[in-house]
Amino acid sequence: MQQQSPAKKKKKIKVPRVVNGVDTLVEIEVDDDGSVAWGPNDKHALLNHRLPRVDGHVKVSGAAEYTHDRRPPGMLYGRVLRSPHAHARVLKVDASAARGIPGVKAVVASTDDPARKELVVLFAGQPVAAVAAETPEIAEDALRAIRVDYEVLPHLVRAEDSVKEGAPKVFADPKEPNVEPRDKRGDASKVAEALKGADVVVEAEYRTPIIHHSSLETHGNVVDYRGGEEATVYASTQGTFTIPGDAAQELGLKESAVRAVVEHMGGGFGSKFGIGVEGMLACQLSKQAKAPVHLMLTRKDEFLLAGNRSGSWQKFKAGATKDGTLVALHAVQYRLGGLGDGSQAGQPYIYAAANAYREGYSIHTHEDASRAMRAPGHPQASFAVESLMDELAYKLGMDAVEFRKKNLKDAVYHRQLDRGAREIGWGRRNKTPGAGAGPLKRGMGCGIGTWGGGGNDECKVDVTVARDGSVSVAVGTQDLGTGTRTYTRAIVAEELGLQIKDVAERIGDSRLGSANSSGGSTTAASLAPSVKDAAVKARLAVAERLSPLLGGAKPEEITFSNGGVSGGGKTLSWRQACAALPAAGVTGHGVWQTSLAGRGVHGVCFAEVEVDVETGRVRPIKMVHVQDIGLPLNRLAVESQMNGGMIQSLGMALWEGRVMDAKLGLQLNPGFGDYKLPGALEMPELVPLIDDEDTREAVIGVGEPSIIPAVGAVANAVHNACGVRVRELPITPDKILMGLLSERRGA
Amino acid sequence: MKAFEWVSPASVEEAVSLLKSAPASKDVDEAARPLAGGQDLLTTMKDYLTRPVRVVNLKGIRGLDRVEGDGKKGLRLGALVTLAQVEEHAGIRRDFPGLAEAAHSVATQQIRNLGTVGGNLCQRPRCWYYRLEEAVCIKKGGSECFAATGENKYNAIFGGGPSWIVHPSDLAPMLVALGASVNVSGPDGRRAIPLEKFFTLPSEGSIRRENVLKNDELITEVTVPASPFAARSTYLKFKERESLDFALSSVAAAVELGPDKRVRQARIVLGGVAPVPWRVPKAEEFLKGRALDAESLAGAARLALEGAEPLSQNAYKIPLTQTLVRRALAKAGGVSA
Ligand SMILES: Cc1cc2nc3c(=O)[nH]c(=O)nc-3n(C[C@H](O)[C@H](O)[C@H](O)COP(=O)(O)OP(=O)(O)OC[C@H]3O[C@@H](n4cnc5c(N)ncnc54)[C@H](O)[C@@H]3O)c2cc1C
Ligand code: SF4
Repeated sequence: MQQQSPAKKKKKIKVPRVVNGVDTLVEIEVDDDGSVAWGPNDKHALLNHRLPRVDGHVKVSGAAEYTHDRRPPGMLYGRVLRSPHAHARVLKVDASAARGIPGVKAVVASTDDPARKELVVLFAGQPVAAVAAETPEIAEDALRAIRVDYEVLPHLVRAEDSVKEGAPKVFADPKEPNVEPRDKRGDASKVAEALKGADVVVEAEYRTPIIHHSSLETHGNVVDYRGGEEATVYASTQGTFTIPGDAAQELGLKESAVRAVVEHMGGGFGSKFGIGVEGMLACQLSKQAKAPVHLMLTRKDEFLLAGNRSGSWQKFKAGATKDGTLVALHAVQYRLGGLGDGSQAGQPYIYAAANAYREGYSIHTHEDASRAMRAPGHPQASFAVESLMDELAYKLGMDAVEFRKKNLKDAVYHRQLDRGAREIGWGRRNKTPGAGAGPLKRGMGCGIGTWGGGGNDECKVDVTVARDGSVSVAVGTQDLGTGTRTYTRAIVAEELGLQIKDVAERIGDSRLGSANSSGGSTTAASLAPSVKDAAVKARLAVAERLSPLLGGAKPEEITFSNGGVSGGGKTLSWRQACAALPAAGVTGHGVWQTSLAGRGVHGVCFAEVEVDVETGRVRPIKMVHVQDIGLPLNRLAVESQMNGGMIQSLGMALWEGRVMDAKLGLQLNPGFGDYKLPGALEMPELVPLIDDEDTREAVIGVGEPSIIPAVGAVANAVHNACGVRVRELPITPDKILMGLLSERRGA
Repeated sequence: MKAFEWVSPASVEEAVSLLKSAPASKDVDEAARPLAGGQDLLTTMKDYLTRPVRVVNLKGIRGLDRVEGDGKKGLRLGALVTLAQVEEHAGIRRDFPGLAEAAHSVATQQIRNLGTVGGNLCQRPRCWYYRLEEAVCIKKGGSECFAATGENKYNAIFGGGPSWIVHPSDLAPMLVALGASVNVSGPDGRRAIPLEKFFTLPSEGSIRRENVLKNDELITEVTVPASPFAARSTYLKFKERESLDFALSSVAAAVELGPDKRVRQARIVLGGVAPVPWRVPKAEEFLKGRALDAESLAGAARLALEGAEPLSQNAYKIPLTQTLVRRALAKAGGVSA
């Protein structure tokens, strides 16, 4: 989407800055409505610099306590019994033998609740029972001692099978058909008409498989409840505040009596909101045993029941005229989200087509429901449309970048394409796909994305300055590994003229100020403004106390820099200044400021690969990602996000994908052996480029935009290298070899 | 994993008798198992694919971790020699370079530090149906091979039926190419088995097993004879994911060249394409007396893959393996492919 800046009237004020190591006052422009402003992006003392992560050391040394590491005294281990059938009626669950195993302390079965009608499992992996025992081994034994009688029903795990006439139904409810229409836009007949006038037409189908989040830490919770009125839940979650309500309901407690703790968590990528079925089971087990229960999913559980990025199947007919204008595009888009609806951005995505029509559907199968995953629906849409644009450009004999520019109105895309092309050396690319001597062929491709982001008014932050000079910032938010702790400290330190080490942060606790869930790249844009507001208020509160000591200087004019506080011609050291504070110190309560957050970003990726046409091996050589982001709070963290986005999309392009057996209805690769994440040897040179021409003085999330454009870029690079267009991800050696073979046969 | 009895014998004889005396089991996968590095056995136990009543720890037995000999006398590898030892051993790298390469190609450094030669040869298949507890195929006592008509991109193109596994060991093809044998100890004493006769096709031996070893037999040693081609040996493995993967296809090659640079004899054994290391005698014969050039390499590659019977999703293994044959032979012979 288009870049949006916060609305503002401007005024000029003077603020202290260190210029060439000397403290000076510089004039900056800020909003005139009395609201807080960040000031120009290139005038920060800490923000927009490269700040090493404050929790880096505890993480790499293993000292950080993740949810998985929690071991409250008397704790039991929980395990989940999954259905081995993709579709079956549960007739009976007999857990008597499991209950009799020494060390087993609680068993819950899906059939426990007499009010519940029959249970029909709808995917292989759906939980049917759970146990808690003194050791994980006893818990495993107990699972296997539970007898479940199933009546196996016909299943569907392939979209093609699900759409067939007379196919069995995925859901029993007649209101839920296998194929559900989602959206429809444009006029198909106009598109058909316009296609007649096109000079080239491409008709193609693209597919992407279901992708797994593959978070380092699996889903799960440690529910510390021992009977009584209160409970603490240690959760691996993207939403600290989504936990207490869910847990309270299961435990039969008041929401306010449940505390959620998320000290460190090992990633979620969109899959960890709310307590989930695993959390509900943990609560039930804990309640039954009156003891804490540690229930973290196993890796196999994680693959089978913890959500996924929906697959896609997109059919196009598109046409362009000789001058490179996209005149018509007809798209049929299927979202393959299993029991879920899946997600897919509407085509033609970012492109302008004179005549466009699309219709979208969800095709259901007996697989666990898709969940949000880093830019839901965008990599799928981007891969397909970027492949399609490439096919049109090649068919026209036009440069792939020029073709894109011709069909993109937004100037930001143009400048990002130019920058990426320069960085990768676009001029060096193979002009004819597959050309060149020898088996190793190089190729380049590009792709484009867009994201919204933006912040919301949910974060309440306290910044407290104590009389001993210590500074703390507290808010209940969670750090997903994105660097939340670091920028939270940095904002406060910069505001008070201190160093990062002078500020301590407390986060990940529902007893602290409320915060939003981390979804949609909204964390930084929601949290940072509130932190800034709290820091400004704390600064003014300190200044007010100091005014008498600084010759009666006005609080707004007292400056904080380099660990000192100055005004009225005097300077106090930070410690001296704080000594003047009341015994309880002073606290600034911050709330969200619309003036500090923006939304709407672009993002372009270029990739270079080498294809061995005798083995089908694709070796990624280099990837360049150009991203606008407004004010980069921490350049190192932003680059790290972009690197992570490139790596994840590389995985999606070349190796990853769920494989189902149609007959058995089972996933064949529910583990890191056969679900192939890229490793260190697969890594190309990664070049993350922050587009500093975006001078918006506003915080915008960068987590999601950075995963979108690279998938198409890699696929296009493969084609440019060897001439084979692989339209179904992942692009593995078998597809390239067979593609080359059929090309040779065709020729 | 299912609870088991753990025993730690101090000698091969004791180990054999502990294997023999283990309580009888209903299913072969419940029989007592020897444990070496545990890098494969523990994974099959954790997934309940094997459920041994007794685990016989071999690591307390002295003397099985030695590498002896060289290219002149031949090589003796104790069964407990680790893959890391093999890949780092200066003599092996010099006199049996292909063997060091094969060891190096396995898994990751951590796994090679623990995984042993004996365990590598006796590891179980990687077919994803086999590795999935819920899929009870013939290999696990069921009645059907799901790969035959299912997702078979990684399965066999040679020697398949009624199971289409590929043998996962990287050492095996190379050791077969080098003419190695295994020394086996059992209740009836010791015997030496040429490695070529050690592995069994699903149509020949028990489909529940991949080799001729009985439940109470142990490999104690692998012997590799001195040969005129060992010094010109190489192992070329193609992985879908370079960082860590089994072979989509691999080629163990060794050649003896005459003074005229013509091939006196060649050994070519394919990995990742059949339930056993797949030797291709026709291609070996074809090379005799020929110089290694583009034409002879292509001829050998074509013959090596002759008779392949791909399943619905693995025909790509034919061109892939042809390339590997050419490249491996060229490397072994010191010419460009
Ligand atoms: C992630 C991963 C990747 C891997 N990648 C590869 C690969 O690329 N290439 C490859 O070749 N292998 C690979 N392996 C498989 C295997 O772990 C190693 O090859 C290793 O060498 C096995 O040796 P071990 O000593 O650990 O065997 P163990 O696990 O101890 O034993 C394996 C089997 O052999 C039996 N056994 C062990 N020793 C003897 C003996 N002396 N006599 C009779 N039977 C014996 C055991 O009972 C068991 O059935 C991989 C394994 C993992 C987990
Ligand atoms: S190839 Fe063998 S292991 Fe795989 S499904 Fe068939 S019988 Fe089972």
